[in-house]
Amino acid sequence: MGQLRKAATVVINDVRHEIAGDEAFMMLADYLRYSCGLVGTKIVCAEGDCGACTVLRASVKGLGSEDYEVINSCIVMMAQLDGCSIITVEGLAPRGQFSPVQEAVARCHGSQCGYCTPGFVMAITACVQRSGPGLDAQSVKNYLTGNLCRCTGYAPLVEAALQVNREKQEILKTSLETRRVLKAVSKVSLVIDTEKGRFFAPATLAEAAAIKRRYPEARLISAATDLGVEMNKGKAVPNCFLSLHLIPELYRVRVTQGQVSCGARVTLAQLRRACETALPEWARNLNIFASPQIKNMATLVGNIANGSPIGDSLPFLLVSEASVIVLRGRSTREIELSALYRGYRQLSLKPDEIITTVKFKRLEARDHLRLYKVSQRRDLDIATVNAAFAFRFKATGASARVIAEARIAYGGVGPLAIRCQAAEAYLRGQSLSSEVCAKAQELIQCAIAPLSDLRGSAAYRRVLVAQLFERYCSELDGSSEFQPGAIRAASGEDSHGERCL
Amino acid sequence: MASDAFDPNRMHESALAHVSGRAEYIDDRPFLKNELFVGLVTSPHAHARIGGINTAAALKVPGVVCVLTARDLHQNHWGSIFSEQPFIADAEVRYAGEVVAVIGARTKSALSAAQKALRVSYVPLPAILSIDAAIAAQSFIGPGRSIQRGQSQGALQAAPHRLTGQLIIRGAEHFYLENQAAIAYPREDGQLEVHASTQHPTETQHLVAEALGLKQSDVVCICKRLGGGFGGKETQAAPFAVYAAAVARASGCPARLVLSKDEDMIITGKRNPFQIRYQAGFDKDGRMLALEAELFSDGGAYADLSTAIMERALLHCDNAYFIPHVTVKGQVCRTHFHPHTAFRGFGGPKGVALIESIMEEIAAALDLDALDVRRINCYSAGERAITPYGQTVDNNMLPRLFEQLEASADYRQRRHALALWNQDLNRHPRGMALTAIKFGISFTTRFLNQGNALLNIQRDGSVQVSTGAVEMGQGVHTRIAALVADSLGLPFESIRVMSTSTEKNANTSPTAASTGTDINGAAAIAACDRIKARLSSLFYQLLRRPPEHWAQKTAGLGTQPEIEVEEGGGGDKGLCIFSGGLVYPPDRRDQALPFTTLVAEAYFNRISLCDYGFTKFRHLGFNKLTGQGRAFLYYTQGVACSEVEIDRFTGAVKVLRTDILMDVGRPINAALDKGQIAGAFVQGLGWVTSEALYYDDGGRLRSHAPSTYKIPSVHDMPRQFTIELLENPDNLANIRGTKAVGEPPLMLSFSVWNALRDAIRSRRRAEGRRQEACDLPIPATAEVLLRLLKPELFASWETASHQERDTR
Repeated sequence: MGQLRKAATVVINDVRHEIAGDEAFMMLADYLRYSCGLVGTKIVCAEGDCGACTVLRASVKGLGSEDYEVINSCIVMMAQLDGCSIITVEGLAPRGQFSPVQEAVARCHGSQCGYCTPGFVMAITACVQRSGPGLDAQSVKNYLTGNLCRCTGYAPLVEAALQVNREKQEILKTSLETRRVLKAVSKVSLVIDTEKGRFFAPATLAEAAAIKRRYPEARLISAATDLGVEMNKGKAVPNCFLSLHLIPELYRVRVTQGQVSCGARVTLAQLRRACETALPEWARNLNIFASPQIKNMATLVGNIANGSPIGDSLPFLLVSEASVIVLRGRSTREIELSALYRGYRQLSLKPDEIITTVKFKRLEARDHLRLYKVSQRRDLDIATVNAAFAFRFKATGASARVIAEARIAYGGVGPLAIRCQAAEAYLRGQSLSSEVCAKAQELIQCAIAPLSDLRGSAAYRRVLVAQLFERYCSELDGSSEFQPGAIRAASGEDSHGERCL
Repeated sequence: MASDAFDPNRMHESALAHVSGRAEYIDDRPFLKNELFVGLVTSPHAHARIGGINTAAALKVPGVVCVLTARDLHQNHWGSIFSEQPFIADAEVRYAGEVVAVIGARTKSALSAAQKALRVSYVPLPAILSIDAAIAAQSFIGPGRSIQRGQSQGALQAAPHRLTGQLIIRGAEHFYLENQAAIAYPREDGQLEVHASTQHPTETQHLVAEALGLKQSDVVCICKRLGGGFGGKETQAAPFAVYAAAVARASGCPARLVLSKDEDMIITGKRNPFQIRYQAGFDKDGRMLALEAELFSDGGAYADLSTAIMERALLHCDNAYFIPHVTVKGQVCRTHFHPHTAFRGFGGPKGVALIESIMEEIAAALDLDALDVRRINCYSAGERAITPYGQTVDNNMLPRLFEQLEASADYRQRRHALALWNQDLNRHPRGMALTAIKFGISFTTRFLNQGNALLNIQRDGSVQVSTGAVEMGQGVHTRIAALVADSLGLPFESIRVMSTSTEKNANTSPTAASTGTDINGAAAIAACDRIKARLSSLFYQLLRRPPEHWAQKTAGLGTQPEIEVEEGGGGDKGLCIFSGGLVYPPDRRDQALPFTTLVAEAYFNRISLCDYGFTKFRHLGFNKLTGQGRAFLYYTQGVACSEVEIDRFTGAVKVLRTDILMDVGRPINAALDKGQIAGAFVQGLGWVTSEALYYDDGGRLRSHAPSTYKIPSVHDMPRQFTIELLENPDNLANIRGTKAVGEPPLMLSFSVWNALRDAIRSRRRAEGRRQEACDLPIPATAEVLLRLLKPELFASWETASHQERDTR
């Protein structure tokens, strides 16, 4: 290792903060409130599920988004924000003045008790900043799914976003000086070593591999959106972290004709933008995947490494035949996703291995990819059951309805997300009839072992598994030529969530 | 004279503070150097004997200052109705989450280490974990109550049609965004200043005093604002203030207790779950002839407000409909859950759900349109405007509301379109319902209907007003300021409503039952009137003196005799007009004096510019034991029409359109009223659809955070949502002719709930299934709805195991 920094550099409302010592392991929201006295940022749930703690974050070029984006400040440690610039509600306008967004929220009666309000102000600010003048209510709603309000019923908040005086609304940008500072620091590796713990942020992948070899107990984190929750709730107290946030090559996402490859630091938001046209179904599914705040932090690799059987990306990745590239010292190996999981939240990785990349097949229009998620609430909720289907049919003449290739995957139906291989094998070469569907359904039910929990009974999950298959078949059926466009056209105004027939 | 006070678009008085993040809540108060963090240790068992508590290890944690248990309190019982709940469990814990110890520590990490180090041994005891189990064990809270009119049994037997059913209504979490919080500051000579997020500062003050053995005069409770309350901080805020105060008292240091959302949801009670058995009799036109219902509620482990909540449930079993023969009985059950408590609607929703559900069932039984059944039963006039408890429905807007909304929501035409839509089984079933609310405004406990206000006119003519009203987002301070501004003829900006504090307003009632503005606004006006009387008297006497003899010029010299005013009168000339910053006699605007001139003259003539107002609702006379009498000052009324769609594959609900028409009398602030309506409706929408409290077999709440307890998010509001206010200047019962709005619209969410029932019915009809009764529970979650849509799919899997796993 060459040069080293011993403090993380975070700019907050244009003021540079050097974070060394135990403050490095504080959550940003706590740091703002209790170390800086910036109490406009509220903490309600401490699990990234309500948005009251929303602030704006920008990174430096090549290491995440240069534009300000919303994040949840309650579940991100200060050290993770090394090299970032943060704007809180106090930073939007000088004291005694109000930004156009603040004015609009007040004028439209968007606040009642006021506790969620700063979070909404930040989210609306980002929404306005990220959108053109043609902003509509549906897009606003999509942007506000990470913020809960218990008083207003939301309508005035949506209205406020539409009423913002855009001419007066300045685009928030980091100053040249801030960019210069952050750029300079982000080239140098960071090691914070305190009694409370260690935090490594190497500037190169080689260094990262070396650290992981030396400290196999180091917890690899990307956004740590799950770990942050566990830490807040006293369920986990890791004290050695390895963050890859200074390594530029891990921010790359490549979409080619047949494949997508995505570095370990690529966020879900970045991925969604990259896949918008290449994989529209996946991009659409990402709308109901967490909140903007989470998607701006969380990575696809994080979702995979977290290993939850209801990770929203897993059915999609399973049908897309994903694999991960793993680095150990100087050697790499590729592991198929289906071989990555050994059991409930258990990965078949060695302690000193690092997932650097995930690759998956880019399914084509003729694969009829469909992704479904069922949850108690549609937005910002953990799935009860999720599913992915991709059937390809034989192309010629009379055999147009004969299945050439069937891919079926479910999550939330057992300790692991699974591909239903028996059903897939059975379907291959069959033409889609109700008898064939019934037989396939039977095979699927044999492959799953759902539990009852607070998101639904085992029976409900089994019924959902069947119903989602049914829905897929009926959607295929509904489009005579199996053109996805035809199904979409029938779905009406609702571009946000699950399609209605 | 027109005033800007009632500007229908005026923003919330704190709106700019809210949006800038500068509005202060409890945990935003700066930390003092010696301030302690307070934390709680709670029971993991629903019911257990406490074998012992070993505090030694916890006390050894560096930074821990004190560990308090039951024996450290001077008095360890409380309760607004029955004083039976310990602040800190003593020999026994009666619910999972009950507090067994309170810890004060210098740092958060010391606090959490001490929480883990504290050793409590429990001997688990059998727990009652359902209403049925409580009934079987005859485990009740308080006596049963009933409301009765006529001969329901005979009328039921004679009725041409009858239906019986059972309704399951589950609880709901308030989910105020600001979790329970309090800070106690020790003051000199044993006094305490408590800042609490409470809807009831007076009770909080009293309970702190009682628990610590202080005089009430030695405790001040202050509340700037709440980050939401919804009833959850009416009684249940007080214990947290007591814990903070106890640590402050024991340590001599300021002490801060701020709950996490998880702790808050686990410890505090919810909306009472209810189980209702009913029998209704009706004629061939759907006219109700008789109703018998037996309501059981789950009160949880302690009484809290559950008996009063049951009373309001019984008082709302009629809702908008005349029922000639009625017997409704209610009994609160004692179980081993957190003590359930007030939540927007306060029992009213249970009665309203019952009768609105019966309306749908009657319609289904007779193959009528449910709106026709509602209209034929709607309260009208004469005998058919008298409630089962004997109060007449004055200012009855219900027929007009039904009529107007039927037209404006295009009900008939849409009903027709829906019938066509639902014929196609490949579509998602849709349904629609138009339901009503008639909600009684007043505390049903008469003595609570009183309030006081302190009004200080400063010498620059600006005004401070303080009342017992707690601002929790509903805009009560904005409304009170508007009333005062209007009364004194001053610009809205001249009026500042101050923090609620028990040293300014003592013996106040909770800000609850939607009465905040009615009671406290009226008290503020009473104070205004007294000052206006003095200023009017002063005005007429000034007119008789040449201006050069006025006190502003001569007071310091003492050359002129001082003006004396009589208390309570402007003399025989009556009150002056106060308008536009001027004061003048009626019809003599030319004699006007600026308000500020009068204020200056008043000061120099030693005439008080401050006063105190008191108010009480008159004519209330409900007898709780007989269940008869005038329970309410007036009724707030409204109707809503909602159209929904159920995803035929998953049971997921979409609210396509909601139209609301409310009667709120003459609004003080129409924008705030509409905000309350929209917010209450969406809150109700969450309760009837997605908000599921999930307890494990041991009675422990498992859904205790937004990751698992799903309140509506932005996409869950109705896709099309209109709210209109009915013009009604004729509510003479209340100040300015306004009507309270906080709670009633929550119950309009039953339009969604009944629309879901309608959708299921339509699907069953289209499938040619038998039309049996459809007792839809609350909440009607996606799983519930899919079970009703596809019962055969569930049948084969019902034996599945009930193992659990946190699948996050």
